[in-house]
Amino acid sequence: MPELPEHLKKPFINLLLAAADDKLFLGHRNSEWTGLGPILEEDIAFSALAQDEMAHASALYELAGAIDGRSADQLAFGRAPGEYRCAAIVEVPDEFDWATAMARRLFCNHFDVLRLTRLSMSVYKPLADLARRLAAEQQAHVQHVDDWTMRLGSGTPESHRRIQQAIEALARIAPQLFEPVERQDQLVAAGLYPGDDLEMYDAWRAAVEHVLGRGHLSARLDDFNPEERGGRRGVHTVHLAPMLDEMCEVYRLEPDAAW
Amino acid sequence: MIDRRSIMDVLRTIPDPEMPISIVDLGLIESVEVAPSGDQSAVRVVALPTFVGCPALDMIRRDIEDRVGALPGVGSVRVQWVNDPPWSVDRISAAGRESLRAHGVTVPPHGNRLEVHGSATVALTVGAAAVPCPFCGSTKTRRESPFGPTRCRMIYYCDACRNSFEHLKRV
Repeated sequence: MPELPEHLKKPFINLLLAAADDKLFLGHRNSEWTGLGPILEEDIAFSALAQDEMAHASALYELAGAIDGRSADQLAFGRAPGEYRCAAIVEVPDEFDWATAMARRLFCNHFDVLRLTRLSMSVYKPLADLARRLAAEQQAHVQHVDDWTMRLGSGTPESHRRIQQAIEALARIAPQLFEPVERQDQLVAAGLYPGDDLEMYDAWRAAVEHVLGRGHLSARLDDFNPEERGGRRGVHTVHLAPMLDEMCEVYRLEPDAAW
Repeated sequence: MIDRRSIMDVLRTIPDPEMPISIVDLGLIESVEVAPSGDQSAVRVVALPTFVGCPALDMIRRDIEDRVGALPGVGSVRVQWVNDPPWSVDRISAAGRESLRAHGVTVPPHGNRLEVHGSATVALTVGAAAVPCPFCGSTKTRRESPFGPTRCRMIYYCDACRNSFEHLKRV
């Protein structure tokens, strides 16, 4: 592992955790559709998406754990809710509404691919190499959710109304994906997370609005306020703790068990 | 000391756990290094994962350790997975492509590569050509699902011979 300046270790780990935690919980929410997808292909798709996100999260946890000596399992399941760095949009339940599941992925998948692209230019080479691979795999997710958003938007009056409602509801919290982790500015300056948040935000909004436009849909996406404290700094919605309890039920029985 | 060629010959006999293709034809092997270790050889195999965290990776690692480790003169075998260079479907050999095709799995043609560039764009240049059916060769095919039985494969359907087949994702 390359050397990291001591004062940047914690912020850098938090940056990795933000990316991994988003994937862990989005993956979990996607996996809830296994067996319940509206058609067989989408049941397979959501299970495959969940598998991808979990595999990506695991690789990022390993990278973070290599810095401070914790295992991927400890990082995934062994932290208190306040130590997670995911954004609110991956925490809220979709109530098994297909449109909500898709709208969530539209915002998250486009964000993820842009974040991975930035990480693929990090001076921390193991991260850059990994992020490049993850960005390539993430393409299939973006393509899938773009197709479905457009299809639902230009389908029946009911499908249009439901995806539009879901988009509007999630658009209120989606910009919180951009909340910086503590001392992110120093990570940017050091080349560990190169790029510019505002530029990324504009690219994200343009990508999302492009897809929505093609599906005759729209969303009001407010500028994000980097001062507002949220998930990236450990302030979470009421939905995180119960989801963690469910996910960690087996792990907590015997945290050191070998699988 | 054992020579690299004998090791490659053994690697060529190890199949991918999920597809009818050897791990060498699949393009997983980046390099093989042999160093003396006492009166035996220490072998290091550098390999590239197809998909990050693919569950087959551990099986492949064990297969390499077992098979190469059984060669006379080999004292230790270490398999190292790296992401640089990234694995891509372009690494699959011509023989490997043919073997997959015979079993109903097609591979994207060379050249439609993924490009990561600039600070904000990841562009996937998708080839305009349709995917030819591995069974009858018809291009009257369509994608049924971008996801399939494993993370690296999609499901296609041929309207001409009415067979479904699998197509590797372009990474």
